[in-house]
Amino acid sequence: MYIYIDGKKISAKDGESILEVANRNEIYIPTLCHHEALDDVGACRVCMVEITHKDWGGWRNLVTACLYPVEEGLVISTSSEAVRRSRGTTLDLLMARCPTSDVIRWMAEENGEISVRYEQIDDGSKCIMCSLCVRACERMGCNAIGTVGRGHDKKIAPPFFENPENCIGCGACAAICPTGHIEVNDTRTTREIWDKKFNFVACEGCGEPVLTEEYRDYAIANRDLPADYYTTCSACKKKKLASHFDKVGS
Amino acid sequence: MQKTFVVIPRNCTGCRTCELACSMIKGTEGVFARSRINIYKVGDERYMQMTCLQCVEAACVKVCPTEALVRNELTGAIEVDEERCVGCGLCEPACPFGHMHFELNEGVPVKCDLCGGDPTCVKFCPHGALEMK
Amino acid sequence: MGIANRKELEARRKALHKANENVKTHVRVCSGTGCAALGAFEVYDALVKESKKAGLPVQVELEPCGKEKDPLFVSLTGCQGFCQIGPLVHILPDDILYTGVKVSAVKDIVEKTLAGGQVVEKLLYKNPEDKKRLKGRADIPFYKGQELVALEGCGSVAADSLDSYVASGGFSSLAKALKMDPDQVISEVEKSGLRGRGGGGFPTGRKWRSCVSAEGDERFVICNGDEGDPGAFMDCCIMEGDPYRVIEGMIICAHAVGSSTGFIYVRHEYPRAVERLSLAVKTCEENGLLGKKILGSDLDFDISVARGGGAFVCGESTALMRSIEGSVGEPRAKYVRSVQRGFRDKPTVLNNVETFACVPSIINEGSDWFTSRGTEKSPGTKAFCLVGKVVNTGLIEVPMGTSLRDVVFGMGGGIIDGRPFKAVQTGGPSGGCLGEDHLDLPVDFDALAKAGSMMGSGGMIVMDDRTCMVDVAKYFLKFLMEESCGKCVPCREGVYQLHAMLDKLSRGEGEPQDLEKIQRLGKEIQVSSLCGLGKSAPNPVLSTLKNFREEYEAHVNDKRCPAGVCRDITTFTIDPDKCTGCLVCKKACPPDAISGEKKQVHIIDQDKCTQCGACRLVCKFDAVVTN
Repeated sequence: MYIYIDGKKISAKDGESILEVANRNEIYIPTLCHHEALDDVGACRVCMVEITHKDWGGWRNLVTACLYPVEEGLVISTSSEAVRRSRGTTLDLLMARCPTSDVIRWMAEENGEISVRYEQIDDGSKCIMCSLCVRACERMGCNAIGTVGRGHDKKIAPPFFENPENCIGCGACAAICPTGHIEVNDTRTTREIWDKKFNFVACEGCGEPVLTEEYRDYAIANRDLPADYYTTCSACKKKKLASHFDKVGS
Repeated sequence: MQKTFVVIPRNCTGCRTCELACSMIKGTEGVFARSRINIYKVGDERYMQMTCLQCVEAACVKVCPTEALVRNELTGAIEVDEERCVGCGLCEPACPFGHMHFELNEGVPVKCDLCGGDPTCVKFCPHGALEMK
Repeated sequence: MGIANRKELEARRKALHKANENVKTHVRVCSGTGCAALGAFEVYDALVKESKKAGLPVQVELEPCGKEKDPLFVSLTGCQGFCQIGPLVHILPDDILYTGVKVSAVKDIVEKTLAGGQVVEKLLYKNPEDKKRLKGRADIPFYKGQELVALEGCGSVAADSLDSYVASGGFSSLAKALKMDPDQVISEVEKSGLRGRGGGGFPTGRKWRSCVSAEGDERFVICNGDEGDPGAFMDCCIMEGDPYRVIEGMIICAHAVGSSTGFIYVRHEYPRAVERLSLAVKTCEENGLLGKKILGSDLDFDISVARGGGAFVCGESTALMRSIEGSVGEPRAKYVRSVQRGFRDKPTVLNNVETFACVPSIINEGSDWFTSRGTEKSPGTKAFCLVGKVVNTGLIEVPMGTSLRDVVFGMGGGIIDGRPFKAVQTGGPSGGCLGEDHLDLPVDFDALAKAGSMMGSGGMIVMDDRTCMVDVAKYFLKFLMEESCGKCVPCREGVYQLHAMLDKLSRGEGEPQDLEKIQRLGKEIQVSSLCGLGKSAPNPVLSTLKNFREEYEAHVNDKRCPAGVCRDITTFTIDPDKCTGCLVCKKACPPDAISGEKKQVHIIDQDKCTQCGACRLVCKFDAVVTN
């Protein structure tokens, strides 16, 4: 099938979302809660595009590009006046919620409108509730964090705000967070995340941290690899292999 | 025909030009430790160039929860699809040879991708110790 | 005893019908929430006990072969509507409605009415206009103009008795539907023009048809009983008062769309509804009306009662389905409709309680009968909950197209204390407020939407001149702010900001550009939000801003609340010309801010006054005035 994005005729497959087609064709649509490997939820509303169709009698609508399935002849505008207004309002609201987040500010600048018009909530939080961390944790099979409560007070947290039992300290939540809200404190021997303290497995060779003990146990139990893979750091592994190669070679 | 990355240790003088070239081209600003190829001294005047072996049954591919490590069928290299990576970092300890590098604040792992089939390190090696053939 | 097929159902109904006819006197005690809170259950127990003591042939269950001759049937029914003056006891066939019945009055009722055949005057409804006592429902203005379809059995059948429902014709509609082709059933519903009573007003027949044509190996029927609008209790009353009708409607739907599994989602805060529905489902299972081969047909259908945790957003269809699935109740985008991919990603029909309750009548009486009432685009009747500053609060059902005036001033009996009418809020928290110029608006889906409000589930909150529209909008926004699921940004952050701006206005800190800002943000929230809750969340503020703009302007420009509600910008003073020096306000004032002697003009000490408004509320001479 063919669809039209910003006037360009583009081929698309049934079942694809507007965002997928746009990404494949290098047409930029900003996103905050989208991730290629995770299910889309349509929470951030930044990927809003305007759609219409020649058979719709002039009717237009704003939809999220990440979720809307393409259909033959769909006409999409990624930066119409209505799109910019909606996106601008969303980013404005996020700037008021997380005034310290650079990512949000950059995105707002890019949209062409930066004016914090709303009451700022300066509690230091950079969380925009995109739930990427929750979905990443779910993908790891841990479900250690989730959304708690609802409305404006909704938070991302472990169950009962206690040390998350299921957390293995992999840090995927922090790595995926678009605004850098989730804090991880690493020392040479320990990691602290979600108020839970982990001990690192120390490299058998040099004592450098390899991964947390819980993460090692998780990996042994869930990934089909020998347990001794997780005992040494990369540098020591390489060094060992290098001398092994040297011996074999000579 | 797919080319293979070949190291010739006896030609290596340990000059580390490959490391420098790699860390420049891969955007790690000349930090040698973040280079995807490393030179190890294995004896008197003997050096070994170490980089990803692009294993046929790769451990890193096996542990990835999101299929973010994908083999490029043209070059044979296992590449990181940064868009698909959630940053769990398990590929680093999983690699039995130590060729994956993951830093939490970068969010995605770094590994040799053969520069799309034309490795920069090969081009910069002044002694013919690295080849694609 | 099971009901294996239509013949057995017919036989059972005949037997029960006869038993019902033999009953000489029906005594129906309302056990709706209002009446129950006022002691209806105790009244019922006392009635049974006293009647037995008086030697009357009391029967509490319909007995086809009862021993008693000319029995007296005492039953607990669902809500009879007139919640304002409960507990209600309705006695038939003489149509005597006793109001405000207390246990102490039971003896009188038994001795004088049930045994003696006389009417107890003092328990009758007193018409506030001429102070005359009115005997029965036929005489009381509250019941005039009402037409009961969805509420037909609510208040007449014994709420927890399958026999009572069957005796009143229950399940005959199902029997009829099972004889029909599923396609015929859908056509009949389509022709009736029935539209979803939960608020959206989507044509029910069309929904069923698209579910049938959707691909899937399994289909689900879900009844949405997660009524959460403040001031709305229609669905609660139907589920408590006539649970079998809802179940019958669902089975007919299952037959029409080819489903074998159904759910009724009820909020946990409706314990009696949960209890009665669960009992009704169990009774139906025991009697073969649910389960395998219903009434001898090929239809297998089971219903489970699912309890919701009380999140308002779980009334949203997709959030509701997630909730039954066991996930967090958050809505998803409906670009693919639930009839195609709903519960467990299978085609799902989700209808409101009242919608299902309308179905049996439509099948039984035919679509023409249904379309003969209501308006062309919104046929049938609609139940409303009339609450607020109206004389008669309660549950009503009127044909669509009845004017707001008839509802508020007819059945509602006007405004309390004869104060001026200001607005009526329809459609729940995300509905809108309509002022006096909309009073003659015919109430139907399209007329309300056109006027900037919505039908919603049917709550109607009446407001008088002492209601501040900014305050009302603020109240509803606070509700929505707390009940937003928090998933999407415009709803979570936008409604919060709207509320913050209204709060600013009510504190007298509003700036001239704020109104424009509110309007703009409101419109963006409407187009950008993910689900219906967010899309309609700005309605209360946008509709009041449109219909009562001068009131907003007074808050911004004059820093004044015309209704005298917003405390920070209101000062209460006593008009010396009107004050009679009766001391009533002085006694009522919590912080003792009012001074004055008997028969002398009272004065409010502004330093002590907390602007609670208690003095204004109690003053009979309107002497307490605001700026």
